[in-house]
Amino acid sequence: MKEQFQARMLRIHFTEADKWQGEVLYKAIVAKCMELGIGGATVFRGVAGFGASARMYHARTLSISKNAPVMVTVIDTEEQIQKLIPHLDQMIAGGLIASSTVQAIRYSRSAEDSH
Amino acid sequence: MLTAGKAVKVSIYVSEGSTHHGMSIYASILDFLFFRGVSGATVLKGVAGFGADHHIHSANFVEISDHLPLKIEFIETREKVDELLGKLEEMVGSGMIELHETTVAKPAQLSKPKNVPAPGHVKIEGKAKMMRIYIGESDRWLDKPLHESLLRAMRANDLAGATVYRGILGYGAHRRIHKEKPLHLSHDCSIMLSVVDTEEKLKAFLPLVDKMVQEGLVVLSDVDIIKYTHRAQEISEAGSEP
Repeated sequence: MKEQFQARMLRIHFTEADKWQGEVLYKAIVAKCMELGIGGATVFRGVAGFGASARMYHARTLSISKNAPVMVTVIDTEEQIQKLIPHLDQMIAGGLIASSTVQAIRYSRSAEDSH
Repeated sequence: MLTAGKAVKVSIYVSEGSTHHGMSIYASILDFLFFRGVSGATVLKGVAGFGADHHIHSANFVEISDHLPLKIEFIETREKVDELLGKLEEMVGSGMIELHETTVAKPAQLSKPKNVPAPGHVKIEGKAKMMRIYIGESDRWLDKPLHESLLRAMRANDLAGATVYRGILGYGAHRRIHKEKPLHLSHDCSIMLSVVDTEEKLKAFLPLVDKMVQEGLVVLSDVDIIKYTHRAQEISEAGSEP
């Protein structure tokens, strides 16, 4: 099945070391998205970067540093994203949220073979 | 560029150890031919020989002889050879140059055609579209990983460039968490492909995405291209495939 719609995409940038109420922040954000019924969220780890909450970071083999930059991408309809934003405001101490309007196409298998 | 027909084969005989301005003669000659646009040249190493000084030079001894004969061969048009001959005569010193009328039956071709940019790789700037495709790492298309197939399809369709990202955590329509495992034992991460090109190119590619992606999300957004360049194909790449 294929559906097309206008959507909003958030890209939330912070670091892997950031925490929210004792939990790793990116996990907390993904959990919050799920709780709010947001369509999907994906976390990416960068190999190098710097920003408001991270000093220059480089991925090195066998590095035990947990300060890698991470980015969470969230895409859903405008209303759904608006539900998420107040929560993000509370959760993110240092970081950046970039927002853009996107055209989305969702492909899904029919309901009977979903698991 | 050498074409089929009449040409001249030039053979230059020098000794391996002899030098020209501090650099070995054959290397200087090869450089000279290369940068003067000769179509191709080969340096052959003799195992034994003698020359004007009537000493037999051979590699029979364990010691590495640096007086072995070397032969540098190249084939060019008569005009080109005439143009280069003066300088070559000066460079070979005590060596010998032989010219041989020959016929080129089939000129060599570049394995990768140069100066013919792939049709799609034109300069793009200004307004463009970014397409992001979210799929799972375990998704497949015709028994191959879907992200690899998509990437190859993009390449085959001359899209400007694409990057595949692996997510470390994520979920999608099924609300199932896809998580990274230590030592990369998991092949069930979220995957994102990101590709930037003009709206027409991406729109033309979408039917293929429709066909290949059974499940996932595709988003299109407006972007401004600030810079898109690719390295100019240099002459030095022609003969030095690693």
